[in-house]
Amino acid sequence: MSTAELFLREIKAVFSNPALLLTVFGGVLLYSVLYPLPYVSQIPREQKVVAVNLDNSQFSRTIMRMIDATPQVSIVEQAHTIEEGKQILLNNKMAGMLVIPENFYHDLLLGKSPSLSFAGDASYFLVFSTVLEGMAGAGQTLAAKVKVQQMVMSGQALPQATMHYTPIKLRLHALFNEAEGYVNYVIPAIFILILHQTLFMGIGILCGTEIEELESSANSDKTPYWLSTSSLKLVLVRASIFVVIYSLLALYYFGTCLAMYDLPRLATLEDLSLFGLIFFFSVAFLGIAAGGFFQNRETATVIALLTSLVIVFTCGFIWPESAIPKPVVMITDFIPAVPGIKGFIQLNQMGAAIQQVRPLMAQIAVLGGLFFILAIFSMHRRKMRYSRQSTL
Amino acid sequence: MKTSLTAEWRHITSDKWLFSMVTWLPPLLFFLLYCVFAQGLPRDLAIGVVDLDHSSISRRLIRTYDASPSLAVTASYSSPAEGTAAMRDAKIYGLIIIPPNTEKDMTLGAGPAVEAYYNSQYLLIGKMVKSAIAAAHSTIAVQIDAVKNLTTGSIAMEKAVSEALPLSTQITSLYNIGKNYAQFLGSAVLPAMWQILIVMTTVYSLGKGLRKTKTKPASGLPATLSELANKLAPYTLIFWLQGILMLIGMFILAGWPMHGSLTILVCAQFLTVCACQIMAALIMYLIRDSARALSSAAAYAAPGLAFMGVTYPVTDMIYPARVWRSLLPMSHYIDIQISQANYGTSIANSLPQFTYLLLFMTPLLLLPILVKRVKRLQEISA
Repeated sequence: MSTAELFLREIKAVFSNPALLLTVFGGVLLYSVLYPLPYVSQIPREQKVVAVNLDNSQFSRTIMRMIDATPQVSIVEQAHTIEEGKQILLNNKMAGMLVIPENFYHDLLLGKSPSLSFAGDASYFLVFSTVLEGMAGAGQTLAAKVKVQQMVMSGQALPQATMHYTPIKLRLHALFNEAEGYVNYVIPAIFILILHQTLFMGIGILCGTEIEELESSANSDKTPYWLSTSSLKLVLVRASIFVVIYSLLALYYFGTCLAMYDLPRLATLEDLSLFGLIFFFSVAFLGIAAGGFFQNRETATVIALLTSLVIVFTCGFIWPESAIPKPVVMITDFIPAVPGIKGFIQLNQMGAAIQQVRPLMAQIAVLGGLFFILAIFSMHRRKMRYSRQSTL
Repeated sequence: MKTSLTAEWRHITSDKWLFSMVTWLPPLLFFLLYCVFAQGLPRDLAIGVVDLDHSSISRRLIRTYDASPSLAVTASYSSPAEGTAAMRDAKIYGLIIIPPNTEKDMTLGAGPAVEAYYNSQYLLIGKMVKSAIAAAHSTIAVQIDAVKNLTTGSIAMEKAVSEALPLSTQITSLYNIGKNYAQFLGSAVLPAMWQILIVMTTVYSLGKGLRKTKTKPASGLPATLSELANKLAPYTLIFWLQGILMLIGMFILAGWPMHGSLTILVCAQFLTVCACQIMAALIMYLIRDSARALSSAAAYAAPGLAFMGVTYPVTDMIYPARVWRSLLPMSHYIDIQISQANYGTSIANSLPQFTYLLLFMTPLLLLPILVKRVKRLQEISA
């Protein structure tokens, strides 16, 4: 069979397979809407807290107003005792409780350094840190104000006092995801995972379909085209077709979708294409290598689904790699998605130069080479096995 | 019942994948995910410094940041540009720039500022770095200030500290006492994995019948409700066992905090398993093709974790997201689990969630129609 003919046969096999089309095109389209859905509001805001004001001075009410005015926190209820506050917190599922202790203003005037307490549910890390940010911000502003006041009272000029209230200031800046949005954080990585998993599934479904059809038409003496082509040619043609399809889908994700969700697109098209090509070929070879062992259309989907969560949590963007046991990292380093997610994020979200992701590219390329050899072996093994069977 | 059990077991052992999915694979996956979070909160997150001052105070600052248990100063760069390049490369999660003349400005009282950058693309890690830097910095700022107050006047130590820090904020985390986010996240990731396992295994085992008899449409599916119940029941026990295993692993073996009752959770798990199985069966009977049903089930179960409301608060999700969330049994289960593990509340507080789980039995009303359709299809093909 000529290469051109093989291409046509393969394209026809891909586009006439409903399960494959549903998974590849349906999946990629659906996920592009479904995954960002919980996060579209980007940043948790106006978290509800209950305030317990045991001081009841004019000053303490100012504090409450200041905290309420921050975008992060909103004081929705007040309680008279800590016990009551706890009860409200639990029953109304609030984010936290602010306690202004008794004699707060008094202690402040006496210079006893009283403390504002905040109690929250630290389990919800994001909510907790949001509320803390709001409270700490208001607390610091207030502390600075009080200090400036004290300095002025002890005889310093106001402009000088405002400058001196702390010996060394700290200015914190968020880099890459300035607004600290959640879509920016999760979605670019998840998109790459989706491309990786659906590509794997698509090829697996194609390979599984071939075996299923072969077995259901065991009596017919027509040999399917994939049994009569060389394994090398089949691997190359099949991988190329999927790489072309996925390049187009990647354009949709990295172009349309990232723009739609207003996410950074810092990489140049050339860099992204280079990285993407290596990545998709590597995944396609992995898919074919595994696909040679599938007896049916379902196996690939099962594997992809069972591995997804493990990949998400070991590719370093949620949980630092240094906190994950070495043996686990060593295993997951063999999955192209792991270096793939790292590389794509560095290139496109963090603006790294292509030279900087070269080690990751090398890792993906080496994996690709390995899977390429395995794919040829796997296709060859399958051919031997089934052509013997059909001649029997 | 016994015959259906043995028949199902033969069915399971005849398929390598099905056999793995009901035996060794779930514990292995639970263990792998547990390993990720086993170490607890990440320590020694790498940060870099650009020291442009080279003074005793800048060295002291760097030492203080490095001393924070969450941080480790792993690299020193000669220019901010070099430092940001390392940030882009993800070699460091934070960068501290100490500007020239910091010590001089401090002595003169000109209020110098240290610039700190943290990687907010890795939001969670970034926030950990940010709060660790802020905490370390405020310690040192108060120290310096208190010493200054002590040396300039003749005031007592206590007064010196209070002048340096006129009011402080004290933070108590109410429930997750050790603020151990790792355990909290882990205890949500495992149930998410469990939901995927239940839905996938159910669809896969139902689809196996379809695959066998591909030429006749739908003839492999149980064609009466009791047949379907018989088919699903052995798996209910297996999944429930997996859930109990997960609970034992998390709250007994690993000793993650648990303030409530495991019995309530075990009951909730039974309902969750049934709910997941019913949803999976619904998908199967609606689509009636094993591969397409499996892909659809994947779409249904895979994003489960995102919708759970653990990583991102439910109250900040938009309405469609909350609707989708309520269609996933595990989101109701996780509410019950959190209220037990963290708050140790009475069962009364979780009654709404139990009701939601029971609501998943309503598709049972739809199933007879779908099952009947399968039966009709089978008759036609026969």
